[in-house]
Amino acid sequence: MKIQILGTGCPKCSKLTENAEAAAKALGTEYTIEKVTDINEIMSFGVMMTPALAVNGKVKAVGKVPGVEEIKKLLGGQ
Amino acid sequence: MTQTTKGQNSECCGGKRILLYACSGGSNVGEIADRAARELTKQGQGVMFCLAGIGAGIDGMVQTAKDADMNVLIDGCPMDCAKKVFDRAGIGKYIQIKVTDLGIEKAKGVRPTDEQVAVVVVKVKKKLQES
Repeated sequence: MKIQILGTGCPKCSKLTENAEAAAKALGTEYTIEKVTDINEIMSFGVMMTPALAVNGKVKAVGKVPGVEEIKKLLGGQ
Repeated sequence: MTQTTKGQNSECCGGKRILLYACSGGSNVGEIADRAARELTKQGQGVMFCLAGIGAGIDGMVQTAKDADMNVLIDGCPMDCAKKVFDRAGIGKYIQIKVTDLGIEKAKGVRPTDEQVAVVVVKVKKKLQES
């Protein structure tokens, strides 16, 4: 599973990375995490509010930091 | 697990999550809707976003609208195009303003005035305060 954190590097982006990692670990799934900080690349996802979470290239959350349980559901939906 | 970082650091995580969409249709009221959305963006009331992207089903744009605190739809006329685009996309979190409800008639080949744009801007601000 490819997890991408879209954001230019603020504390909320770090928190989202932390939560996404915790969620993926809790699910026991193979995953990679990529931080995408280039604004043009972020916009290519159709995202204009950060941080955002994409899973396998599909945007799952925008402009907010979902909790671990919520992210587990987002990851489980793959 | 592997972790990589692409890109560079810059400004991130603005607090405002009000998105503005205009039908931007071909008539005077479509242009008024468009100009009002741009003026509201300039005034910091929200951020204009792409209605076409919602209609096209671009998943990042649809998710952006779903996760916004509020979406403001400025339709020019009773065709309700912006509202219909949102309804089709299954996004229910919106308020709608219709230019023709504000005493402005729809017409082709008529240039909108700044005053007409201002009427819509004031109405949107009022609606946002109420919501």
